[in-house]
Amino acid sequence: MLMNRTADQPEPNPLREGLATRPVPQPCSIVIFGATGDLAHRKLVPALYNVAADGELPPAVTIVGFARRKKSDDEFRRDLEEATRKFSRQPVRDEIWKTFAQSIFYHQSEFGDESGYKALVERLDEIDKTHGTRGNRLFYFAAGPDQFEPILKHLKAAGLNQTCKGSWVRVIVEKPFGTDLASARELNRIIHNSFTEEQTYRIDHFLGKETAQNILVLRFANAIFAPLWNTHYIDHVQITAAETLGVGTRAGYYERAGALRDMVQNHLLQLLCLTAMEPPTDLSADSIRDEKIKVVRSLRRWSRNEIAANVVRGQYAKGAIHGDPVLGYRQEENVNPDSQTDTFVALRLFIDNWRWADVPIYMRVGKRLPKSATEISIHFKKAPAVLFNKDLHDLNVLVIRIQPDEGISLRIHAKVPGTSFHIEPVKMDFHYGTSFGKASPEAYERLLLDAMSGDATLFARRDEVEQAWAFIDPIEQAWHAKKDVPELFFYPAGSWGPEAADDLLARDGRAWRRL
Amino acid sequence: MPAVTETYSLGVPVEVGKIDQKLKKLWQESEGAVTRASLMNLAVYSEDPGSLDRNTQLMARITEDHACRAIVIEADCNAENDRVDAWISAHCHVSRAGSKQVCSEQISFRLNGGCTTQLPNIVLSNLDSDLPLYLWWQHEFREPMDPQLWTWVDRVIYDSRPWQDFQAQMRLVESAQTEAKQRIVLCDLNWTRLDKVRFALAQFFDHPTSHHRLAKISKLRIDFARGFRSTALLFVGWLAAQLNWCPEKTDGENKLQFVSSSGRKIDIEIRQRDGQPIHEVALTAADIEFVVTHAKCGDLLEVSRGKPGEKRIPQLMPAGKDDPVSLMSEELMRGGPHHVYLRAVDCVRDFL
Repeated sequence: MLMNRTADQPEPNPLREGLATRPVPQPCSIVIFGATGDLAHRKLVPALYNVAADGELPPAVTIVGFARRKKSDDEFRRDLEEATRKFSRQPVRDEIWKTFAQSIFYHQSEFGDESGYKALVERLDEIDKTHGTRGNRLFYFAAGPDQFEPILKHLKAAGLNQTCKGSWVRVIVEKPFGTDLASARELNRIIHNSFTEEQTYRIDHFLGKETAQNILVLRFANAIFAPLWNTHYIDHVQITAAETLGVGTRAGYYERAGALRDMVQNHLLQLLCLTAMEPPTDLSADSIRDEKIKVVRSLRRWSRNEIAANVVRGQYAKGAIHGDPVLGYRQEENVNPDSQTDTFVALRLFIDNWRWADVPIYMRVGKRLPKSATEISIHFKKAPAVLFNKDLHDLNVLVIRIQPDEGISLRIHAKVPGTSFHIEPVKMDFHYGTSFGKASPEAYERLLLDAMSGDATLFARRDEVEQAWAFIDPIEQAWHAKKDVPELFFYPAGSWGPEAADDLLARDGRAWRRL
Repeated sequence: MPAVTETYSLGVPVEVGKIDQKLKKLWQESEGAVTRASLMNLAVYSEDPGSLDRNTQLMARITEDHACRAIVIEADCNAENDRVDAWISAHCHVSRAGSKQVCSEQISFRLNGGCTTQLPNIVLSNLDSDLPLYLWWQHEFREPMDPQLWTWVDRVIYDSRPWQDFQAQMRLVESAQTEAKQRIVLCDLNWTRLDKVRFALAQFFDHPTSHHRLAKISKLRIDFARGFRSTALLFVGWLAAQLNWCPEKTDGENKLQFVSSSGRKIDIEIRQRDGQPIHEVALTAADIEFVVTHAKCGDLLEVSRGKPGEKRIPQLMPAGKDDPVSLMSEELMRGGPHHVYLRAVDCVRDFL
C-alpha cells in the first residue's frame, strides 16, 4: 500500500499495528451519478461488494444511486444483485449480499433538476441519522462528461459540496478528462467551482492494477535496477497496449475520441510516468505525482512538420481475429463511412532530461490487433562487441506485463549446451498468478477504497491531466489541419498495425517486440 | 515415470544422496505444460506416527496458494536403528492465469533414531537456494536447540495452543531466536488464529473520532471454546500490549484485572463456552459496547457497536477457518517481524 501518513493526519489506530489488512475507511455515502449505467453495474458495485465481503468496508457505508429512470430501492437492489452475481471477482454470498443490499438506495432525478438535488440533501441527511454515515460524501461521476457541469452546478447550489466539521466531501471523476487542453481546463474550472483539487479524484483504472503499482516497487525496492535505469544502459523503451476488440458499442464516443485521446493521453502516459519518473522523496500522493508530472513536462514537443515522422495513426480495415472474419472500423455500427478516427497510434517519444536523454520511447496502442496485451519493455544496450557479442543481435529485455498474466520477465543470453560457443536468448519469468495464489483485487476495489480513505496517490492531479493534453493537442491539431495532414494508414484487423508503425522503429534500426 | 500430477502419495522413493538428480529427472520427464514455482522452502517437522501422509495432504492444499519447495519430515526419535528414507513428489494445480499447471516439489523424509543430529543436515542439504526457509515445527520443542539448524531458519512456525508448559516452550523458542541472532521470526499459529477477530475489533477504532474510546475501556469479555484458553489470553495480551495495560490482579482462573497507564481499571472475563475458538468478544468503553461474534453461518463474523438496548447495524466480515491449511495460508501471506505478538506474550506470559 502506498498510503503514508502526513503531518495533519491523526495518530494511527494502535490496534492496527502488525495487521496485514489496511484500516477501513471512514463511514460515508457513495452517491453514484449514472447509477443505472454499465460502469456502476459491471465495475463499481461489484467492487464495493468485494471489499465489503473482504471486511474492508465499515458497516456505515451506503450507496445511493442517482439516475433518471424510475426505480424503487428494491428494484435497484435486484438489478445490482444480478449484475454483481455476474461480474463479481468472488462468488456472491447470500448472507453478505443481504446485509450489503440494506445499504443501497435509489434516488430518481434528472441530472439538471434542481429539486432532485434538494431531495438528495434530505435523503443523505436521513441516511446519516439512520446509518451513521456522519456527513461524509463521495460523489462518483459515472455519467457522461456532458452531464458533469449540470451535476456539479446543482451539487453546489444544494450545498452538497460543503462539509460540516469533521466530515468530508470528495468527488471521483471518470475519464475522459476533457477532449483537449482547453476542454480539460474548462472541466477543471467547472469542478473547482464546486470542489477543491484536494477533494477531486480523477480515476485512471490502469493505476489501480497490481502490476502498475508494482512498477514503483520493482524500480525502488530492488537495488540492481537503479544503476541501470538511464541513458547509459537503456537502449530504448516500448510500451504496448493492444486489444483484439473493435469499437463495439462505443462508436458514439470513440468517433470523437480515437485511440490517442482514449488511451495515450491517460493510461499510457501514466505508465510512462511510473517507468521514467525519478525516485519520489516519500510515498505520499503529491510526492509521487510531483515526480510524474516532471516526466510529462520533459516530453519533447514536435513541430507540425515533425509529427508525421514521429507519430503514426492507423485505422483497422476488415480482417480476422482468432480466425473469425471481422468488419473494418468504417463498416461498424454508428461509424461514419468516411471516418478519419484513429484506432491505432504509434509514437516515438523522447524525454528530454538528464536520465533519459536520447533514449527513444516507442508507444503503440490499437484495436483489433492479434492479441490483447499491455506491457512495458525496457531494452538494454548491447554488451561491447567483443568476446561472445560480435554476432549477437538480441538485447537484454526486462518486460513488465500489466495485463493479462501480470508479471515480469528478463531476457538474458545463455550458452547452448555443447562443445561450441553457441549463444541463445533465454527468459526468466515471474508470473503473479503462478507465484501468488491469492487473486489480486480489481483495480476499482483498490481505487474506491483509496478515495474513501483520502489517498490520492493513484489518481491523476489537475496539472498531470493538463500537461498530458498539452502534449497531445499538437498531434490532434496536425491530424485535423486543413492541409499537410499526416496520412491515416489502414491495417487489416488481426495484424500488428500499419507498416508505417514498423518503419518508425526500423528507421532507428529497431523493431517492435514480438508479443 | 508418469506425468507430474496432483498427488497425495509420497511419490518416488529416492536415495538421500540422489535427491537433486532425481528431482531434475522428475521435471524433465513431466508431460504437458507444467511450471515449477517456488517462493520459499517450507520444511515441516513432526514426530507423530503417520504424519508424513497427513502432512503430504496438507502440503497439496497449501501449495495451491503458496508455491514452495516442501520438505516434509517425520521423525521417530526412539527407533533403535538410525535410518533415513526419502521420497520425491510434486503437487500440481492449474494456475489462475490459465490452463498451465503450476507445480511445487516435495521431498519427504522418514528419520529413525538420532533425530536431532540428522535434522539440520537433512534440511540444509535440500534447500532451494536463495529462498527463505520456513520451518513448521509440529511438535513440542526440546533441548538441545541445535544452533546449526536455527541459524538457517527465517521463520519458525508453531502452534502454542496445545503446549503443556508455555513458559518453558517459549524459553526454548526464544533461545533459538538468540542462536539466530534475532533474525528468526516467531510465528505462532495460535496468534494467527486471532487475526480475523483482531481485525474485526481494530476496525471499530480506525475512525479518529473513535480513538478516545480506547482510553475508556473498562470491561472485556471473551468467550472461548474448550482448549482455547491460551488463545483467549493472547487476545488479552494483544490489547494490553497495544493499549499499555499492566496486569493488576487475578480473581480465579478466568477473571483478570489490568490497569491502564492512567490508572483506570479494566475488568476482564474469559469464559469457556461451546462454539468457535474465540466465539465472541465484547468490549465496553464508556457507554458503548463493541461486539465481535461468530455469525450463525460459521465462517463469518458479525460485528456491531452501540449502547445497550440501542438498535445496531451489524456487519458481516470474514471469520477465517481454524484448520491447519487456512492458518498456514494466512501466516504465509504475512511478512515482516511479529513484534506485536512478542509484546502480547510478554503481557500475559504469567497467565499462560
